[in-house]
Amino acid sequence: MGWREAARLADVAFLEVALQATYAFRQGNPVPPAEGRRMVARAQRRVAQSKALIAGLLGFLVLGAAVLLRAPPAVRAQLVPIAIPLGLFQTGILTGVFGLEVALLWWTGLQALPTFLGSSAVSVLEPLPIDPRTLRRAAAIVYLRLFDLPALVVLVGTPVFVGLALGPLAGLASVPASASAVVFALALSLVTGRFFVRRVQGARGGGGGAVVRWAYLLLWLLPAFGLLAFVTASPAFFRVLAVLAGPHLSRPAELLAAVYPFAVAVLPVAVAGGSGSLGVPSAVILVAFLWTAVYAGVAVYAAVWLYGSVAEVGKLPPAVATPGVASRSELRPQRPPWAVLTKDLRLASRTPGYAFLILLPLLDAVALGLVTFAGAPGSAAARGVAIGAVSAAALLATFFGPAFFALEVVAQSYARTLPVTPRSMALGKVSLIGAIYLAAGGIVLAITALRVPAPGLFALFIAAELPAVVAAGLLELALLFRWARARGLPVTNLYAGAWNIVLVSLPGVALATAPIAAFVEVGVGGMAVVALAELAVMAPLALGRGTT
Amino acid sequence: MPAPASPVPLAVERLTIDYGQRRAVNGLSLEVRPSEIYGLLGSNGAGKSSTIKSIVGLVRPTSGSVRVFGDDAVGDGLRAKEQLGYVPETALLYEALTPREFLEFVAGVRRLDRAVASERLQTYAAAFQLDAELEEPIATLSNGTRQKVLVIGALLHAPRLLVLDEPLNSLDPRSVRIVKELLLRFVRSGGRGVLLSTHTMEIAEELCTRVGILDRGVLLAEGTLAELRTRAARGDASLEEVFLRLTRQDEGLTEAVASLDGS
Repeated sequence: MGWREAARLADVAFLEVALQATYAFRQGNPVPPAEGRRMVARAQRRVAQSKALIAGLLGFLVLGAAVLLRAPPAVRAQLVPIAIPLGLFQTGILTGVFGLEVALLWWTGLQALPTFLGSSAVSVLEPLPIDPRTLRRAAAIVYLRLFDLPALVVLVGTPVFVGLALGPLAGLASVPASASAVVFALALSLVTGRFFVRRVQGARGGGGGAVVRWAYLLLWLLPAFGLLAFVTASPAFFRVLAVLAGPHLSRPAELLAAVYPFAVAVLPVAVAGGSGSLGVPSAVILVAFLWTAVYAGVAVYAAVWLYGSVAEVGKLPPAVATPGVASRSELRPQRPPWAVLTKDLRLASRTPGYAFLILLPLLDAVALGLVTFAGAPGSAAARGVAIGAVSAAALLATFFGPAFFALEVVAQSYARTLPVTPRSMALGKVSLIGAIYLAAGGIVLAITALRVPAPGLFALFIAAELPAVVAAGLLELALLFRWARARGLPVTNLYAGAWNIVLVSLPGVALATAPIAAFVEVGVGGMAVVALAELAVMAPLALGRGTT
Repeated sequence: MPAPASPVPLAVERLTIDYGQRRAVNGLSLEVRPSEIYGLLGSNGAGKSSTIKSIVGLVRPTSGSVRVFGDDAVGDGLRAKEQLGYVPETALLYEALTPREFLEFVAGVRRLDRAVASERLQTYAAAFQLDAELEEPIATLSNGTRQKVLVIGALLHAPRLLVLDEPLNSLDPRSVRIVKELLLRFVRSGGRGVLLSTHTMEIAEELCTRVGILDRGVLLAEGTLAELRTRAARGDASLEEVFLRLTRQDEGLTEAVASLDGS
């Protein structure tokens, strides 16, 4: 049996992944009142839509980068706070592109892997008389298909757009970088998935266990956050790059050129404009080239490892319990909304995709808060960055409603047999959304207390936005509950339901943005009025009897 | 909890459930009376699980009504859900939670008092020998252990109606014995009722006060074992023989078994 047979098996296995991602039958979700063929078609369509959405986002990113690579000096001056050589600016842009490509593909993997593992699509094939090589190939194809369209955009789109911006040779020179971005993201996803199954999914309960799980998740998601922070903190990043072009370059600073993905971004720019265009010493270029070769080698090794490991991870049984330690057989029931909130936090602590969402605004707040240290204390720019950080947290929070609703897919059929009202469910989830936003705001406030002029006003800004964040969450959850009731099916996980989540989040984003716009126009008083008005309208709509 | 509007634990009337063009349940009416264990028997695809899912609020019926102690279970069904405990056929649980975390969520949603919930957990966990696994993630537990967690979750709030879909499938013999004893004690007081769906005729024969036989979405027959024997014209037959006869699955059975000889 060859690749053709493996592809045929992968077709069947991937269909199972799509079906489970959409309908979660293996979690006991009941069959919706629809024809089987329609359900299969819908599952395929939804997974394809989600992949197209992520591919579109990546395409937009690459297109935007291509435009920036050709940006005139006036535009560059607006983007970068200090003067740096054109080549170094272009290398910085490409570094951001490759970094974000890894981050986005890895994020996709975090969403898809629990479904991939939970669907048992590979395990189902194992008892059949299929030789191990064909099984390995089939597993590898299924795994690739989780990422196919987005990965294709990175592999083909990046060199094409870099080629259009910097010339065909530069486009060709960006192939190692884009290929390594795909391989690293896929490998990171698999490593994270294996880690998830072994250490997080199987970790014991209890207060101490929860702390350990969150610490593990933080540790493993940190690189992705680092990449996001690096983009949000781009002015500071370009200041670091400027060190490379400075007159007093130290040996440790030279090593910056070895850092991924900066190292792999040097080659296309050097090919396009010559090594002189970067305005850095030749030792820096040499270090970057050397490390490009190293990263290419690591990528090849990672690709080989991926091919051999996907089947093993796909067949990985869940972690086995190690009973014997005395358990606490005492229950501490909470009121329904708090019970929902606690349950969601506990689920997220064992689900990397959701943990990622909860930790995202918090770490982004840390990163942006630290950026304010780049300016003088008490400067208006520092306040601008701090307000930007809180606004980012508010906007990110608008994606939590759909995400926390998607948590209900897990065993949602059991939850639906409990006397929990949608009102309690919505209150619990919206409390968590508000708490995460406040925590992010608190982090920014704590970091920037001595950097931002009038920190009291800044604290008011954080408080004034809170009702709008809550109103956005309530609106999104109300829409989702109605939708689920009307269609009788869950909104499913983030992998299969990305498009729906974006659709539902749009009105939420509008609600969260309106008070910020009011702040710009009329100050914090007007902002508070707008936010409170939104909450006054949304709360009865979302929480009134019979509305959710 | 307010006094029940009706003493009848479960009343299903003219229940019809369609999946697209396929009719899974067709005009089904049945009643679980006070202090009764009602067995729902049927072949694969007979409509048992669909019926049960509509009773517990998982499937919206195409038409018909379901009432738990007089409360409508089809609309939001909150009052009906407060009074029933459900053990599903497959262990559909929040896999990332531990049994204690899961039961804490259930107890919270059901607004149970801390002392009462803890005492019940201790009783049931000891009976099912589950103490050592209360802090292990459900994902790591065996099917039988998950089933025990579901049984405890269904009993934690002392419901008035138990709805059980193949509850003994994955349990070890000791736990099977305990669940049987629990069910028999459950219906002895307070006018409570049990709806039990099973494939295992011996269990139905041993536990059920009355039995309903479902075939292709239609209730073929209903009654005590003695009544069903009379109806099937099999005076001393086992429930299995009665079932096969009434569902006409005994036709060609001898030939089908004989055809296996060469396999």
